[in-house]
This record gives sequence, C-alpha cells and structure tokens, in this order.
Amino acid sequence: MNEQERQLITKIFSEYYAEAELDIPGIEHREFGIGNYKKIDARHLSFGSVSDFRRYLTTNTPFFVSHSTSYYDFPGATPIQKKQWKGADVVFDLDIHAEGKYGAYALLDRVKADLVRLVDDFLIGDFGVDEKDLIIDFSGNRGYHVHIRDKRFLPIGAEERRELVDYIMGHGLDYSKFFSDSYSADSRKARLVGPRPEEGGYRGRFARGVIKLLETDPKSISRLFSDPGKREFFISGVKEGNWSKTSLKFDDLVSRLKIVADGLAVQSVDTDAGVTQDLSKLIRVPNTIHGETGLIAKVIDGRGAIEKFEPLRDALIETKTIANETMMILFTEDVPALVLGGENMGPFKKDERREFRLPISMFYVLKGSASIVIR
Amino acid sequence: MAEQGSLDFAVRYPFSPSAKDAITDIAVNERIIILARNRIMKSLMNDSSGRMLIHEADKKEDIASFAVARMILGILRNNYLTNTFAVNESKMMHHFLNREDEATALEVSTIFGIVPKPKAGAKPVEDILELDLPSYLRCCPRSPAYRLINRRLVHGMVEIKSDEWKRLVEEAARKHIERIPIVKDPPEELKEAGKKILETLPKTDNSKLEAIKVEDHPPCVAKLLDNLAKHENLPHQARWFLAAYFLSLNTSEADIVKIFSGAPDYSEKVTSYQVAHIKKKGYSVPSCATVLGYGLCVADCRIGSPLAWHRLGRQRKEEIRK
Repeated sequence: MNEQERQLITKIFSEYYAEAELDIPGIEHREFGIGNYKKIDARHLSFGSVSDFRRYLTTNTPFFVSHSTSYYDFPGATPIQKKQWKGADVVFDLDIHAEGKYGAYALLDRVKADLVRLVDDFLIGDFGVDEKDLIIDFSGNRGYHVHIRDKRFLPIGAEERRELVDYIMGHGLDYSKFFSDSYSADSRKARLVGPRPEEGGYRGRFARGVIKLLETDPKSISRLFSDPGKREFFISGVKEGNWSKTSLKFDDLVSRLKIVADGLAVQSVDTDAGVTQDLSKLIRVPNTIHGETGLIAKVIDGRGAIEKFEPLRDALIETKTIANETMMILFTEDVPALVLGGENMGPFKKDERREFRLPISMFYVLKGSASIVIR
Repeated sequence: MAEQGSLDFAVRYPFSPSAKDAITDIAVNERIIILARNRIMKSLMNDSSGRMLIHEADKKEDIASFAVARMILGILRNNYLTNTFAVNESKMMHHFLNREDEATALEVSTIFGIVPKPKAGAKPVEDILELDLPSYLRCCPRSPAYRLINRRLVHGMVEIKSDEWKRLVEEAARKHIERIPIVKDPPEELKEAGKKILETLPKTDNSKLEAIKVEDHPPCVAKLLDNLAKHENLPHQARWFLAAYFLSLNTSEADIVKIFSGAPDYSEKVTSYQVAHIKKKGYSVPSCATVLGYGLCVADCRIGSPLAWHRLGRQRKEEIRK
C-alpha cells in the first residue's frame, strides 16, 4: 500500500470514527495501544473520556486500536508496575488458522459454532455469567472476542484465568471418571453408573452428546446400536444414569464413547497468545476497525443475534458519505472466491481491474491483494 | 471452640478484624518482638503446633506477635521467609478450623469472602457444599483434585466437600498472609530483630545453579525452577514431576534435592527420602498430556514428552519460548 492509498483509506476510517458507537466502560482506567504499520506501535496511552478517544481517532486515525483488558489507577504510567492494577475483564479470543491469506474466511462459520457453545454451554451455563455482562464482538479478521464484564471476576489473577481456559478447552478432562461400578444389595451383578443428561457441566453435556450421537449416527459408537430395540433400551438407561443396559463390556463401552468426549471442549480458544491469562494484554477495542481488512470489530447485539450475524457482510464500514461510492482496483495477485458483502466475489486473477463498492475494494487493498486505481 | 469476637478467637485467627480490635490498647514492647521473632523461627522449623495461653495479657501479646512478625517480614522483604511464614501460619489456622463448629468456621471463612452454601436438594449426609466460581478460583490449591476441569460446576457454583472447604480457607489465609505490608521508617528494634533472623538462615547455596541451568529445560520445567527460585510453594505433582524429570536426565540425587531447597516448606530429610523413593520406583517422566492435566503446561511445544525438548534445534526452542 502506498502513501496515497493510505491517506485515502485513513480518510474513510476517520469518517467512520466520527459516528462510531464507542461505548467503553471504565475508559479512564484502561491502557490503550495504537498501530499503523503493525498492530501495536505504541502503548501506555490513556483517554479520560469517550469524546477524547473519538477526537483522537478522527484526527490521528490509527489502523489498529486496542485497549487493556485490565483496569488501572494510572493507565498511562510506565513501567507496568506503576499503573497499579485494579482488576481485569475476562476475555476470550476465538480464531481459526488456515492455509493462505483467505483460507480462514471460509471457516468463520466453524468459529461461530464454537462461539455459540462457548457462550451458551460454558459462560452462561457453567460459569453462571449473566448475558448482560457479556460483550461479544467480531475480531475484525479471523474470529470473535468475548469480554466478560462481571464485577465478581475482575480480581482473579492470571493463573486462575488459565484454569478457566483449561476448563473450556477440556485440558485434563478424564471422562472415564464420570463412571463408577455399583453393586446393589440384592444382585451380584454390577451396574455402570454414569452421568444423566439433565446434569450440568461436562457430565450432562457428555450424556446428552452420547444420546444425540446414538440417535444420529449409532454405528460410530458400535454396530450393536443400529438395532433400534437395543439402542432405545440403552438410551432409556442413560436417561436414568444407568449405563449398563447393553451387552458391551463396561471398559469397552467407556472407551468407545471417547468420540463424544473429544467433541465437548471448545478448541478454537486462542491460548497461544495468552489473551485470557495475560493481564497486560491489549485487545482490539470493540467497534474499531481492523487495519488488515477494513472490517469493523463489530459488537453483536446480544446472544440472540449471533446466528444471524455474518461478519463479512455485517462488519463492513457503512457510513452515509461512502454508502454509494465505488472504487476501482487492480488485483496484484490471484484471489480465491469469497462471499463478501452478501455477494459471491471472485475468484480474481492478477492484473484484473474491477470496480466495487468502497468497503469491498478497501478490503482487497488492505489484504495486500490489490492497489487502488486513481482516476 | 472459639466464639467470634472473643480473645481466644483472635489468638487463633490473628488476621481477623477482631484480632486487630483486641490489641488496640497495647504497645509494641521487647517481649512482643521476641515472640514475633520466635513465631517466624517456628515457621522455619515447620512447627505448626499452637501455644497454650491462659492469661489475657499473654493472649494479647500473642496476637500482637503476629502483626509484629508481619512487620518484620515487611522490613526484610525476603520471599523465602515470607512464604515459609505464610505456609506455617495457614497450616496452624487449618488445625484450629478443624476443631471449630460450623458457625465459627464460617465466620473465619467469611473473612476471606468464602461463603459456601449447602447444595440445594442434597442430603446433609452427602456433605455437598456449593461455592461461587470467582471465590473458588481465588483460593483453590494448585493440585489436580482442585482443578476446575475435575469439579462439578453448574451455573457458576462449584461443588465442594466440607474438608475441601477448609483447605480453601487455608489457601486463602496463606495468600492473605503472604501479602506483607510495606513498612516505612521501621523502628530500630524491629530492624534488629530482622537482622537476627537473617543471621540464622543458611547461606544461599549457589551450587544448585551451576548444576542446573534453567534455560536448558522445557518451559514447564523452567517455570517451576523459577517458582522455586522465588520460594513459591509448589503443588505435590509439580515436585514429583521435577524429580522424575531430572532423575531421567541422570542428575544426581544430591543435586535434585538442592533444587528443592528454595521451597518454603523445604526439609532436606523429607526431600532426600522422596527423591530416593521416586528413583527406586523408577517412575517415568509424565507425558506432556499428563503435565497439561496437572495444570503445569505453560507453552505450546507440541513435543509429546518434556524430555523431547532436548532433541529440538535451537531455533525451534527459541520460537517456543517466545
């Protein structure tokens, strides 16, 4: 991207920021970082109010803006010890890695499915977080961010946050411990006692998962269960926590159920970057622009809106001034087909000239796949 | 049993607000400073027995000795002494807690914001309590049994048994006592008492650092060595893992024992016995999956076994460390 292109794009970003919804609780206690050529060029910035922050964004207009998950007494102080930590939101970063520059976009639905499970099963179901304390936003590129702003979680430290991540990712989960042998007084025959579907946490999810799999693909557990009679008999037992209503040996049955246990955790939580457990981490400010895509880290309007949210359609910059504008671009490399802005785009060949709506052209330019044709 | 607000309660739980109230009328004197010094020395010998106190004045002095001991530790700012003191005092508290009736135990627990409730619908004989998740996380010990993944967790409530509850209170007390105050312009007598304690400490043994270089080992091992260097308390599995790991690298038993000399509850005799026992049994080094299960994995090495670290190239090691 040359300087002229950069200036043009900066102008569009600035227009967006003049009207953007920037609701940042505790803004005066957060540290900010900004970047132009990489995600963070400078950090330890602080803003006293949303209007100060907006003024900064419209006049300086960085390509990336992030804020701390932590709250401090002196967010602008350095080194970090002098900031005086007050607590931190619990934040989860879900993303997906794939081959090529555009590979991840085709897999965003998979991340969304993980997001739904993270929110419903883990955050609301197991952790007991109220929906109103959750901010869910698109990351602006390859995934989603979830911010828990529940006061009770603010003081917990880095190691405890790691516990939450391990729990969600199922690290150390030993589902065979869900089961125990039980002998009744009048019978010498052992019974395999296990979780019931209505139980909470991993146990209930496991029991429900087994029943679901038996109903949809029984053979994946055992050919025995393709017989409807045997299958229903076994399911009727599971519903009461009695896992013995089958001729399979206990050990054999339990090891066959690994296929269900393996699918219970949320795998796309990004722990490499340590987003959740690193208290000094900066994360993209919700509703600001990702400078590598021009897509907004758009806040999703509550849990109920996740399914309908299409990041490559709903996170495009749409302001009044640019609504009807188009931009001519010249592709500088081959680009695969993609659904963008609700339309099927591409594939495009190197040296192809195309005119699109402004946010779409900008996406390809920022991805480094095209240059702007100045007329 | 010691009723909340009574002097006996304050003696047993010297970190409680009622302990603070109990000693407002007494000034620090030479006797209290000696008691405070003894209190710290007692922790160095892992002696968590309580003292029998009859007279009111003795009780008040005992309570004051806790506060003064923390001031001395605040002056010294020596991690080893502070952590050892915190471990010992919290163990002592646990012994007392086991003898209290439920209401008193709950009073102590509430000081740390730990307020478990009987699980709705559970029978008393089942002994199932529920604690809110943030409180549980703040004070759960670092051992597999307490790992969140191994607990029943529903709607933000973690199930615990009553003995586990008391263990959580012990952990909360330890963390609380570890946070020593910053002492500005300390009185000479306290500085002097601190010096005397330091004189009794064995000289730091640097030979362990020569035998074992932190940077030669995988991130999980390096982290534990770092924790020990900071005199932090390691859970049982972490110690076992370190011993098994270094034994398999053919490190001498004597050198392995030295690694643990930084632990706040270090005992050469016990450590030597345990290391010898692990060697005799020939335990193999846990796989990465097991280390992860212990909650000790800190990096994304993807090497299967911590021992495989030594087969990696320098560049790959540096990438992982980043």
